Amino acid sequence: MQLNFQRLGALIRKETIQILRDRRFIMLFLGLTLVQLFVYSYSASKTVYHLPLAVVDQSRDPTSRAFVQALVNSQYFDVTMYLDSQAQVMQAIDRSEVKAGIIFPPHFAASVNRGSADFLILLDGSDQFAVSSGESAAGLVAQSFGLQLSAQSVIRSGASPASEGALPIVASTQVLYNPDMNDKWFVIPGIIGMILQTLAIEQAAIFLVRDREWGTLEQILATPVRQLEIILSKLIPLLVLCLLALGTSVGLGIYWFGVPFHGNLFLYFWLALLFIASCLGLGLVISTRATTQFEAETTSLVFMLFGLLLTGLFYPRIGMPLVPQLIGDLVPLTYFIRISRGIYMKGVGLNFLWSDALILIIYTVIVVFIASKRFKMRLD
Amino acid sequence: MWRRIWAITQKEFIQLWRFPLVLIGLTVGPALELILFAVAINTNVQHIPMVVADQSLSAASRSYLTAFTDSGSFDIVATAPDQAGMIRAIDSGQASIGILIPVDFAAQVEQKDANVLMLVDGSDSFVTQSAYSSAEAISQQYAISLTQQQLSPLDAHIQILYNPDLQELWFLVPGFGAFLLYGIALKLTAFAIVRERELGTMEALLVTPIRPIELMVAKMIPNLCVAVFNMALTFSLGMLIFGVPFRGSLLLFSVLASLFAIGSLGLGLAISSISQSQVQANQLASLMNIAVLFLSGFLFPLYALPPVLRLLGYIMPMTFFLPIVNGIITKGVGLNDLWTPVLSLTALTVVIFFFGALAFRQNLD
Repeated sequence: MQLNFQRLGALIRKETIQILRDRRFIMLFLGLTLVQLFVYSYSASKTVYHLPLAVVDQSRDPTSRAFVQALVNSQYFDVTMYLDSQAQVMQAIDRSEVKAGIIFPPHFAASVNRGSADFLILLDGSDQFAVSSGESAAGLVAQSFGLQLSAQSVIRSGASPASEGALPIVASTQVLYNPDMNDKWFVIPGIIGMILQTLAIEQAAIFLVRDREWGTLEQILATPVRQLEIILSKLIPLLVLCLLALGTSVGLGIYWFGVPFHGNLFLYFWLALLFIASCLGLGLVISTRATTQFEAETTSLVFMLFGLLLTGLFYPRIGMPLVPQLIGDLVPLTYFIRISRGIYMKGVGLNFLWSDALILIIYTVIVVFIASKRFKMRLD
Repeated sequence: MWRRIWAITQKEFIQLWRFPLVLIGLTVGPALELILFAVAINTNVQHIPMVVADQSLSAASRSYLTAFTDSGSFDIVATAPDQAGMIRAIDSGQASIGILIPVDFAAQVEQKDANVLMLVDGSDSFVTQSAYSSAEAISQQYAISLTQQQLSPLDAHIQILYNPDLQELWFLVPGFGAFLLYGIALKLTAFAIVRERELGTMEALLVTPIRPIELMVAKMIPNLCVAVFNMALTFSLGMLIFGVPFRGSLLLFSVLASLFAIGSLGLGLAISSISQSQVQANQLASLMNIAVLFLSGFLFPLYALPPVLRLLGYIMPMTFFLPIVNGIITKGVGLNDLWTPVLSLTALTVVIFFFGALAFRQNLD
């Protein structure tokens, strides 16, 4: 199958004019990118602060008050209610008035001095986020509060304060690439990939179907163009649009969200281009299969869901069973997430990313090939 | 009025039956998706790949590392001579965490003054957070076990209500069922009106004496049947296969879930009436479909959202349905504890229909 570049050029010109004529489409295209980037980046945070807390203080002494204060100071809890019994706390959690409750038994301070105090913290287990943040925060506060108390009692008993709570092994932990564990830094390199994949697959999936539904496909088929030329002429203007969206997203990521770009921007550009091409190709495959826009949309939505949940974007691929992992392998985003995080955050080069890049190349060739084959079959 | 609605409803049913394959896909799809994703998603990361630079190679360092592997959270996949080697392994993605144990570790432990360095891959949020917190906890526990002293004079009992063992699927299945239902409902109706308009059949409908709100109701009834069937299938499969307990009233749940389905279908119709073309409707619907994951409190907590985004979440029925599903299924509470989200959901549904009918009328000319 040989390409005639003159014909291809003419076709691309036609597609470009068609896109440019529809100003609203371009606005929507870029607008959607921006809206998604902002909404997802600002909302993708799992840490929960200021959980509403109910306090039952049957002891009413300085120690219990100090502990509640320590919980509030940690920023993870806000005291919103004082109640009288555990039953009332459970009721308040049932009603979702509070997410957590703390119950101090009578004579709390006295039992702390004896070194055997215990108290109860209740967490709303129907709320995943309240549990995950609340459990670790409450545990940490209790631990450091306890250490502080024991240090004080050691000092009071006259022993040397040097041995206060010292552990024989101290681990200093460093988080590479994202030292403050900033949520936005985690999210942005992956979100960019997700937005691009969504745009590319969806637009490509609709393009051909729309021509068919509108009946304009016949006119093109009446001309001497080849199917590969038609496919490429559809792909290239969309590719340019996607690159525009990519540039905007990366620019905003760096300058608005302040996520530093550690790697080689040039390499990133080329690999992103490859990724977009593979997504567009996948969209075209969907397009050749689907007969209505509804079908095309439904199929691309499935890929979008797979992209969100099976590619390692939000949920880890470590420990994922084989079947979902294999399905995730069929989504281009799986490879681009590794590339994007690798270049953007880690600053590594092709020597670590060549396998993902190679897979994307093979993927692109295969989908474009399938698309042009299927397209031919559907001509009659 | 009811005769008019019934006539259009019949027409819609016939159109729905015309594509049985699509219908099967729509009804069985969500149940399959639920199974797939429930199996796939685990936020409790185990077997995190770890690279070790053990320069001490002593009994003390081996016993320290055993604490990590025994926990099940970490697998040692590589060894490195020094810190640079560890960083290389993390750079390449081979390992997600590295531990450097210095040469004189054994002697340092004797003097109660040992330092180890842990490096965590900060490029993947879930893995980073799990690795960070479990590595610190394991190290600390091991250190405490070496000293025999009692460290803390107070003992916090943390009790998790409703889901004491933190079963992940109990968190996931109710919300996921709701999400899939929402997606299907939007999909079912987002094309309903704009398709008629694009195909030119809208004129035929307009010359009939049917009113906009009646048309919307008529378009909704067949889709509601599909959605309700869907929901029953998805939720019962979720409960049966994954053993998620259903603690509350099934009747109350059915009523409120139908209300939610009506609200979501209405949202799809509203999208359909404000869209100029199927492409636009499709784009809006997909946008709403992803946005709901982020803004309804399903994937990320609602109360951590910036206020503007929280307001956006309030136009989605899912935001109010999530506390209802969790309340009925996981907590087993009844209407008296749920009246706020129930009222909000009802009000939102009414607003959606009102707005949809208004947009429909304005879009006619």
